[in-house]
Amino acid sequence: MLGASLSTDPVKTTSYKVVLPFYAYASIAFFAATLLLVFSAPAFGRHYFHPHVIAITHTMALGWGTMVILGASHQLVPVLIEGKLYSNILAYISFALAAVGIPMLVYAFYTFNMNWVARRGGELVIGAVAVYLINMGISMAKSKTQNVHAVFVFTAGLWLLITTIIGLLLVYNFSIPLFSEDSLHYLSLHAHMGMIGWFLLLIIGVGSRLIPMFLISKYTNAKLLWWIYILINLGLIVFAFMFLYAPPVYCYLLPVAAVAAALLLFGYYCRQAYRKRLRKQVDEQLKISVLSVVMMALPVVLLIIMIIGLWVAGENTRLVLAYGFTVFFGWITAIILGMTFKTLPFIIWNKVYHKKAGLGKTPNPKNLFSNRVFTGMAVVYLTGFILFVTGILLSAVVVLQIAALLLLLAAGLYNFNVLKIILHKPAML
Amino acid sequence: MTITASTKIAAILKQNSGALDAIIAVSPKFEKLRNPILRKVMAGRTSLAMAAKVGGCTVEDFFIKLKPLGFEADTATPVGIEEKKVLPAFITSLKKEQIIELDVRPLIASGKDPLSIIVQKVKTIQQGQVLKIINSFEPTPLMALLEKQGFVSYADTIKEDWVETYFYKATVIETPVKDAPAGNSEGWDILVKQFENHIRTIDVRQLEMPGPMMTILESLETLPADTALYVYHKRIPVFLLPELAERKFSYRIKEISDGEVHLLIFNE
Repeated sequence: MLGASLSTDPVKTTSYKVVLPFYAYASIAFFAATLLLVFSAPAFGRHYFHPHVIAITHTMALGWGTMVILGASHQLVPVLIEGKLYSNILAYISFALAAVGIPMLVYAFYTFNMNWVARRGGELVIGAVAVYLINMGISMAKSKTQNVHAVFVFTAGLWLLITTIIGLLLVYNFSIPLFSEDSLHYLSLHAHMGMIGWFLLLIIGVGSRLIPMFLISKYTNAKLLWWIYILINLGLIVFAFMFLYAPPVYCYLLPVAAVAAALLLFGYYCRQAYRKRLRKQVDEQLKISVLSVVMMALPVVLLIIMIIGLWVAGENTRLVLAYGFTVFFGWITAIILGMTFKTLPFIIWNKVYHKKAGLGKTPNPKNLFSNRVFTGMAVVYLTGFILFVTGILLSAVVVLQIAALLLLLAAGLYNFNVLKIILHKPAML
Repeated sequence: MTITASTKIAAILKQNSGALDAIIAVSPKFEKLRNPILRKVMAGRTSLAMAAKVGGCTVEDFFIKLKPLGFEADTATPVGIEEKKVLPAFITSLKKEQIIELDVRPLIASGKDPLSIIVQKVKTIQQGQVLKIINSFEPTPLMALLEKQGFVSYADTIKEDWVETYFYKATVIETPVKDAPAGNSEGWDILVKQFENHIRTIDVRQLEMPGPMMTILESLETLPADTALYVYHKRIPVFLLPELAERKFSYRIKEISDGEVHLLIFNE
C-alpha cells in the first residue's frame, strides 16, 4: 500500500462552445413561448387540447426546459463523474437536430397540421435525444467514478427518449390508427413520462448535487437519494401499467403518493443540506431555485384535487390546464431562471479569463450580469405566474392577457441578462 | 501556582512531583505517566484540557484533585471552546489505497515512546495519502503537533482503548513552489516571488467534489494574513471565486495543462 500511485486522470472542462448554443437557444425559446402566450391567452380559457396550448407547451418543454438541461448536462455530467465529455461532435449534432426539429414540431402544432412537418420534426427531436444519451452513456462508462447523480441523469434521459417516441407515435396516430384510442387519450401518459421521468428525475439528480454545493454544505445522503430514485421510477412504471389496464380512478392516487413521498424526501434532503451549510447568506439565484423546490408541491396538490375531482365529478379542464401551466411555467421555469445565473456566468468567466487570471485581478463571475435586472425579472415573473394561474382557474381572459404580458416582460429581462453575460468583454480590474 | 485549562501537565509536575498521583487518581488512563519516558514526551505537550479529553474527564476533576496540593484553579479563563466533531472533507472521500496504517499500541505497551516512529512514518507520507494511527486514546497532543505541520486530523473512537486517528497531508509549510513553471505571466511570477517564504501548499487533486472547495475554504480559515495559499487543482474552480471575493481574498490562476491548474490565494 505504501507509495500506491494515485490516479490523477486529466479532467477536461467541457468547452463553452458546446454549451452556449443550448443556453442561447433556450432563452430565445422562452421568449418565443411567452410571445405565443400573449397572442394565445384566450386559448387558456378553453380546453387544454387546443393547438396553441400544445404548441406553447412544446416550446416550453423542449425549446426551453430540455434545451437548457441538455446544455447544462454536457457541462455538469463530466464534473459529476470526474471525467470528460466523450464527444463534442455528438453534442453539436444533438444540438443541431433539436434546434431544427423543435420549431418544425411547434409550427405543426400551432397550425394543427400533423403532416410531414410534424413527423420529421418529431423524428429530429428523437434523434437529438438518442445522440445525447449515447454521448452521456459513453462518457459515464469511461469514467471510474459512478454515482447516484449520474444514474439519475441517465435514467432521466431514457425516459425522455421514451417520451419523445410515444409523442411521435401520437403524431402519426392522428392520421394512421396506430392505437385503439385517439391521441388525446394518451396525452397524460406522454406528459407524465416527460414531466416526472425526464424533468423531475433529472432535476433531483442534478439538484441533489448542486444545492449542497452552492450552499457549501457537507451533507450527502446517497441512500436517501436511491430511495427517491426507486419511488419515482416505481411510481411512473405503476402509472404506465394502470394506463394500459384502466383500473378505477382512485387507484391513480397510488403512483401520485409514491412521487409525493419522493418529493417529501427530497425536501428533507434539501433542508438537511441547508442546515449543515457553511454559507450563511443565500443569494438571490439560489433563493429562486429553492422557491421552485417549494413550487413542486403546487402541481402535486392540483393533481390530487384533479384525481379526486375526476373520480367524483368527471374531468375539469381548467384544473388540467392550471396543472400543466404550474409545471412548465412554474416549477421548471423557476428552476431555470435561478440556475442559469448560477452556471452561465461561470462558463463565460472561464472562457474569457482562464488565460488571463494569472495576469492580475479579474472580475467576480457574479458581476457578469445585472443583479438589479435579475431581481426585477424575478418579481415580474412571479406576479405574472400567479396572475396567469388565477386567470386559468377563473377563465378570465383579461387577467390572462395582463399576466401573459408580464411573463413576456420577464422573458425579455431574462434575455437581456443572458446576452449581457454571453457578450461579456474582458475587463481587468 | 495558578492553573488553568491550558496549563501543561509538565508545568504542574515541575512545581510539585506529588501531583502525579493526584492526576492518576483522576483517571487510570494516566497510569502511563508513571513511565518516565512517556511522561517526558507527553507531559510537555499536554494541557489539562487535552488531558481531560484523553482521560474522559473534565478539567474541574483536575482542579479538585490538585487543590489540596496548593494549586489555585483559575476558572475565569475560558476552558476553550468545545470543538465540534465535524467530519473533515478528506474523510468522506477517503479511498482505501490512500491509507497508511500504524498501530502504536504494542509500542506503548512496551513502554516506548511512539513519537519518533510516528515522525519517521509521517515523513514518508505523500501528498494525498492518509496516515492512520491506532492507539488506546485520542492523541490530542500529536494532533496539535501535526496540525502545525499542515496535517488535517480526525480521531474516531472505535471503542474504549481503540482510537483511530487520521492525518491527511493537505498543507505543508514549506516552499515547494520552486518547481512551479516559470511563465511569462508577470502578475503570477511577481506574486509567487513576493510570497516566497510565506507559502502554504495544498493539493486537492485527489478529492472528490465538493472536497476541493471545502478543503480550500478550511485552509483559508487558518491562513496567516501574510501567507499565500498555493493550490494544486484539476480545473479552474470557478465556483470558488465568488467565495474568495466574499472572504476578501484575491487570487491568481495559472493553467499548466488540461487537468492541471495552480492557484495562488492571498489576502487583499
